Amino acid sequence: MANMNLYSRGDKTFVRINMVLVGLFTLSTLYPFLYILAMSFSSGFAARAGLVVLSPVDATLGAYSRILSEPAFWNSYKNTFIYTFGGTFVSLLIVIPGAYALSRPQLLGRRFWNLMVAFTMWFNAGMIPFWLNMRDLGLLDSYFGIIIGFAVNAFNIILLRNFFESIPSSFEEAARMDGANEFQVLWKVFVPLSKPAIATITLFCIVARWNGFFWAMVLLTDEGKIPLQVYLRHTITALSDDDEFAGSLLTATYSVETVTAAIIVCSIIPVLLIYPFVQKYFNKGILLGGVKE
Amino acid sequence: MSGVRLDGIVKKYGALQVVHGVDLDVSPGEFVVLVGPSGCGKSTTLRMIAGLEEISGGAATIDGRVVNRVAPKDRDVAMVFQNYALYPHLNVADNIAFGLRIRKESKEAIAKSVEEVAGILGLTPYLDRRPADLSGGQRQRVAMGRAIVRRPKVFLFDEPLSNLDAKLRTQMRAEIKRLHNRLGATSIYVTHDQVEAMTLADRIVVMSDGRIEQIGTPMDLFNNPVNTFVAGFIGSPPMNQFEAIVESDGDGPTARLGETVIRLPKLKELEQANGRKVTVGIRPEHVLLHPADGTTPVPVDVDLVETLGSEALLHMHVGEMPFVVKAETQGDVSHLHAVRTLHFQDDLIKVFDGDTGRAYGLPSVA
Amino acid sequence: MTVPHDPIMTASPEEQVVEAREALRDRMKRRAVWVGEHFRREWQLYVLLAPTIIWFILFLYKPMYGLQIAFKDYSVFRGIQGSPWVGLEHFQTLFGSDQFQRALSNTIKLSALSLLVGFPAPIILALMFNEILNQTYKKTAQTIVYLPHFISSVIIAGIIITAFSPSAGIVNTVLGWFGLEPIYFLIKPEWFRPIFIGSGIWQEAGFSSIVFLAAIAGVNPSLYESAVVDGASRWQMMWKITIPSILPTIIIMLIIRIGNLLEVSFEMIILLYQPATYSTADVVNTYIYRNGLQGGQYDLAAAAGFFNAVMAFILVMTANTISKRYSRTSLW
Repeated sequence: MANMNLYSRGDKTFVRINMVLVGLFTLSTLYPFLYILAMSFSSGFAARAGLVVLSPVDATLGAYSRILSEPAFWNSYKNTFIYTFGGTFVSLLIVIPGAYALSRPQLLGRRFWNLMVAFTMWFNAGMIPFWLNMRDLGLLDSYFGIIIGFAVNAFNIILLRNFFESIPSSFEEAARMDGANEFQVLWKVFVPLSKPAIATITLFCIVARWNGFFWAMVLLTDEGKIPLQVYLRHTITALSDDDEFAGSLLTATYSVETVTAAIIVCSIIPVLLIYPFVQKYFNKGILLGGVKE
Repeated sequence: MSGVRLDGIVKKYGALQVVHGVDLDVSPGEFVVLVGPSGCGKSTTLRMIAGLEEISGGAATIDGRVVNRVAPKDRDVAMVFQNYALYPHLNVADNIAFGLRIRKESKEAIAKSVEEVAGILGLTPYLDRRPADLSGGQRQRVAMGRAIVRRPKVFLFDEPLSNLDAKLRTQMRAEIKRLHNRLGATSIYVTHDQVEAMTLADRIVVMSDGRIEQIGTPMDLFNNPVNTFVAGFIGSPPMNQFEAIVESDGDGPTARLGETVIRLPKLKELEQANGRKVTVGIRPEHVLLHPADGTTPVPVDVDLVETLGSEALLHMHVGEMPFVVKAETQGDVSHLHAVRTLHFQDDLIKVFDGDTGRAYGLPSVA
Repeated sequence: MTVPHDPIMTASPEEQVVEAREALRDRMKRRAVWVGEHFRREWQLYVLLAPTIIWFILFLYKPMYGLQIAFKDYSVFRGIQGSPWVGLEHFQTLFGSDQFQRALSNTIKLSALSLLVGFPAPIILALMFNEILNQTYKKTAQTIVYLPHFISSVIIAGIIITAFSPSAGIVNTVLGWFGLEPIYFLIKPEWFRPIFIGSGIWQEAGFSSIVFLAAIAGVNPSLYESAVVDGASRWQMMWKITIPSILPTIIIMLIIRIGNLLEVSFEMIILLYQPATYSTADVVNTYIYRNGLQGGQYDLAAAAGFFNAVMAFILVMTANTISKRYSRTSLW
């Protein structure tokens, strides 16, 4: 029924009103982004005076030149890349083999191992013991700590394991008869057959890593190691609690608001770049995620 | 060239036993088909030969070597799977080459083997295509190519044609037969389709409930089924079977079919079985519409005539019992509607024991 | 191979015991041989599994062992093992504390409100998307409303702080157009909940609608076709066909949400709250963060975390049991 010509008059009205409402919701989703974009290109005075509504006022690149000339900004950007790609790589390195092993019926204690993984979705020790554990492992203030400490989660393993389980056993059997060992079966058969599922969890990882904030804030005290999100947080804190510092940032060309907006824009851009892929796979992923134990 | 031998092969899953001691001797170069209804243990037996299932008891021997504890890859067997198990991310050439690559053969050797196999199977024009871009028959051929290319001692087929439509199935059946004639490799083939079994096999193994019912050439099974199961399973439409009591009229054993008394084959065993309950079996093809020497006339009522073309199936009643006859049409079916009498030849009638289902007149050592 | 048993030779009780013991030993020996052979053949599988298991033990199960500090007078110098047990002292302190009680009640109020307002939003959105015929329009709108899900909470908080700022923010600018005095939203406790819940809907409603859209896509199209032939309007079809058809999905999602009731997105709260708004904004997790990680009261904060985790576990398990009964398939 993709043709409105066959609709009754009442239905046509209904559909049009609905279209308008969806449009309004969509615009209200979009507006904050446009507002921030406009803010980032506005002058500090205009921003402070609350003149920015939809388009830049006294358009200037002042805020951008301020942050782009800030070594700490670039450093945090670099750190985010390290955490995102290093972390995603390590995640896949652990999760893919683990999910494969958990999907094999011949694995001894398979029920136990699977329960061990799933249990962590329902119960975890919480913030304090996790932090103390990271401290005891010497992983505070460490790149490696951030990368390894959040490498695995039960959801991704179960998602991938379910996908592996759905691959007909004859693929494995055919490869075995051809002389493939377990590693070859995984690498040459299961991984290529599971591209959509692996792409999904890769994107899950990338997005989660890129956006990861709380633990980076808690575990990293060395300013040189903080990722972009924590750097952004520091700038925002300056905006909200410390008016004196905020005042010091205010010049004709930029204010703390425009600088914050500019950092936000810079940190959203990479997300927007991978967003088309993310969208393609997340739709699938969330449906794959009808996680069954 | 090498044979396969099974000595009392058993498969158990915990307390559940699905294969109960199967003995089979496949000679080098022979084409043996395991056939039976689903769940009869034929696939499990094949998978035990392949090494995909552990053997719970007995011994499997390939080329004189007991392989119970040998990994599938070291048994030198190749298998064609029901769903082909073609790797969708590899093209035809790479699919065929997969096993050789795993075995680290040289590039030149692989290229040569792939080319040769593709030639045999008529796949040369499709070597660059992915499985998704092939027709069902072509995929089937790639699956066979993947088996052939390794030159294994034994080919195993697990219902390879059951995913194809009827027309392609007939075509591929002939192709498999031709291929076997050309390569002459020992082949074990599992199917639930008795027509496939009849057309392909040198010898057929009929299985049911994890046991072998009968082993023999296709004609053997058709003409001399050892029990009611095989009699009912082999042949289409199946053999007409009805229960009766053996009687004797002094001239030999007889049985009552409706109102009529028919003559049973003159077997010594039967002559001694006076008064026993038996199952009488008559193949739809083994009935005459016209009297001949030594035939018994039986009056019938024809309910329905199904025209198949050169042949027709006559659904009828003998007394109360349904009965099917296959008859030639000779280009016209009107005369078949008019059939009122059948003529039975006593030596084409099979008699099975009413309790055990075993056929009468088997050689004393089965 | 079993030794054939002779039924005529009845064994004495002692012999039977010996026999049984031997049979058991024999079975265990065979089992050991089988296991040994299994590992010889399948060791690669365990190599593949090992990193995952080690990771789970090191990063998720070891902290569970560390959870014992909730029952101890923990000091950094004595360590987890060396610190003395104090029983339920921390729990008594917690339940005697106004701050913790406030955090607990805020947690429940915030989640319950989010559930009440936030849960229907994606369903309504999915129903609305379903009525759009123009595919380009629909795709574009979907692409936009899914986007906030992928934006970090720091950025969202940054947008909120900027937009609600008393001098620079657009919200106060608009209030100014109507002659209203600017409001410093982020230090007003009464504004915290609307802002938190509203931003939650803004961020997640679009993305959460995917599940319901998938459920709607699964409705048999001939139901609609026969309804059209019967003269039903779009509005009637929505109520009589679409909603009843996706009701199982709605109920499952509701159960999941209730199971996760204690999981407020505290990251967002940490980013938005201030001492001035603690009275409505402070939840259990922010309480743990402040007292534990910022205040160094590890044992007390761990006790609060333990309480939270146990309650959450009970909720999730109950939800799963209910959903199992309802849908005859478990959520996991």
